[in-house]
Amino acid sequence: MMDLKPETKTVICIGSGGVGKTTLAASLAAGWARDGKKVLVLTIDPSLRLTQTLGVTPDGDIHEVHLPEGSKGKLFSCVINHQKTFDWFIRSAAQDANVQLLLENRLYQQLSGKLSGSQEFTSLISLYRYVNSGDYDLVVLDTPPSQHTWNFLKAPEKISMLFNEGVASWFRQSDEAPNFFKKIINLSTTQVLKALEMLTGSQFMKELSSFFRAVQRWEGPLEAYVSNCHRLLISPTTEFILVTALDSSRLNEAQKLSREISKQGYHLTCVVINRVPVWAQHETSAKDLSPRVQDLKNYYKSLADNLKSGLEQFKKGLRIYKCFEQQQKAEDMTGLLLNYDHIVTIMYTN
Amino acid sequence: MVKKAHLITGKGGVGKSLFAAALAQHLSTQSSSKKAAVLLTELSEHSFYRDFLKQPNISYIPKPWKQGVDLAQWSPDDCLKEYALHLLKIESLYRLFIENPVTKSLIQIAPGLQDLAVVGKLTSSPRRHGPVMNYDEIVVDSYATGHFLSMLRAPSSLQEAVPFGPMGEQTKSINECIRNPGFTQIHLVCLPEELPVTESIELYNQLKNEFGITANFYLNKMSLLNVSDLSGLSAEAIMSLQNLLESEAWSREKLKSAGINFIELPLVTLPHADEIISTIARHLDEPGKVL
Repeated sequence: MMDLKPETKTVICIGSGGVGKTTLAASLAAGWARDGKKVLVLTIDPSLRLTQTLGVTPDGDIHEVHLPEGSKGKLFSCVINHQKTFDWFIRSAAQDANVQLLLENRLYQQLSGKLSGSQEFTSLISLYRYVNSGDYDLVVLDTPPSQHTWNFLKAPEKISMLFNEGVASWFRQSDEAPNFFKKIINLSTTQVLKALEMLTGSQFMKELSSFFRAVQRWEGPLEAYVSNCHRLLISPTTEFILVTALDSSRLNEAQKLSREISKQGYHLTCVVINRVPVWAQHETSAKDLSPRVQDLKNYYKSLADNLKSGLEQFKKGLRIYKCFEQQQKAEDMTGLLLNYDHIVTIMYTN
Repeated sequence: MVKKAHLITGKGGVGKSLFAAALAQHLSTQSSSKKAAVLLTELSEHSFYRDFLKQPNISYIPKPWKQGVDLAQWSPDDCLKEYALHLLKIESLYRLFIENPVTKSLIQIAPGLQDLAVVGKLTSSPRRHGPVMNYDEIVVDSYATGHFLSMLRAPSSLQEAVPFGPMGEQTKSINECIRNPGFTQIHLVCLPEELPVTESIELYNQLKNEFGITANFYLNKMSLLNVSDLSGLSAEAIMSLQNLLESEAWSREKLKSAGINFIELPLVTLPHADEIISTIARHLDEPGKVL
């Protein structure tokens, strides 16, 4: 089991792919719910992993998950639907009839739907929305692999760039002069726009300017929202949990990530070394193991032996946990709770 | 001229990067030419090869890695810069274009453009667009499942949004090139576990239906164990290894019933990156297991 600070309201699980992060996030959420909290677990992975684990549908709605008898809290889960969330966000930020203009803009459609762009942002919006609703004691977010962690953490910054000093104003259209190009007096600006047009064509420029004009209407509310999201990420009531595995490349990646996110001011509190094969540590029962078993045993054992030096590379003050390898079909509720109960502290650095 | 692009994808953590390096090594030994015939490039923002292959100087400009293979890292920004410079010609205009807030935020907020830039670079040689690339084949350690699909879709998505003009022309030719199975080869790496297999089969079918490309499928990190190997072990070890064997058998069965041919690659227990890569490359060389 894993301890959180009593004031913690948000838990964000990060880490490289293939380390069982989603299952671990679900296990933690299930464990905390069983022990008395009202927990919501959110996944932002477009795959159907959590769907399969928790038996929910990827419709973006919140479902209550059945917990075993005697549980003290409640568990809810939600697979984020990006298009729905983005549209919800635009509508709620706009409170304005002109929302249709933006929703019909083809660049917006590309941005919010088909392309990978705004998924990190929509997860963040969902996280903020549900934490802020006050409906849950704890919201647990499962993020995509660490490459995307950066995109996720940079999402507020990216959206803020839309309103960068001057950027939107370049495309701003005044009511008196319908041709916004005419409004631009700065020579270098004209040159840039010409270059852009040469590269992309005039139709793209038209879409682009209408996109910026549409977006510009909610500069205020959007910016407030974005800075609230950022505040949530760096809040002391938000804990980051880094999930990793025994092998050296993943440990390495985890170390880099842990240093970086702490440097950026996020509260990384725990590291979980997941799926530790426990048998290889003390397998002495057979004298003549088959060569391949011997091989695998030595391999797993050397990984475990190297762990100690690997752990020292993490920054001080982290709680480090180990979670043992589970049986294959451990993804039902019993398995999730068993997983939670099997998480043990191996190091508490100071 | 680049004749083939090998794109490596799969769920996160299945061993894509090491496989890509092994494939590049394998392909280079198939080539008779003495100069570097293969370019191995990674798309990840934080280089994997820098640490793992101890290549501190990895960058957009290819550098020799080993006999017949050059190594590079492509960031979308670099791809876009190269493309813009190629089109705009004039250095000062290019700098003005790249280093202004409109372009910067545009690129940042619309990752579709970033994906397009990467696919544009990848297909630039057969399209005869942009700087010359003196390689026969490119091996791309590409994105994981979801992002990979968005990358392949970027040209057609943007073509829908902007069908005409220079950008429309570009996206059209990129789209045609990336959908040509003679040029684009996709290698789908997977672990013998329930969720990766389920997800990879889904991707395999999507690639086939949407892009007309049949991916090469690999089951990676196979234990190479038999049930007979387990005799005499402790109960704990038997449980753990039996789970492994069951999961491997389940994966094989699942792929067979989905009608997918696959190649099995072993879990390599050697400690050094070079040894792991060479071992996998040797498996790819073996007759009967050719790509």
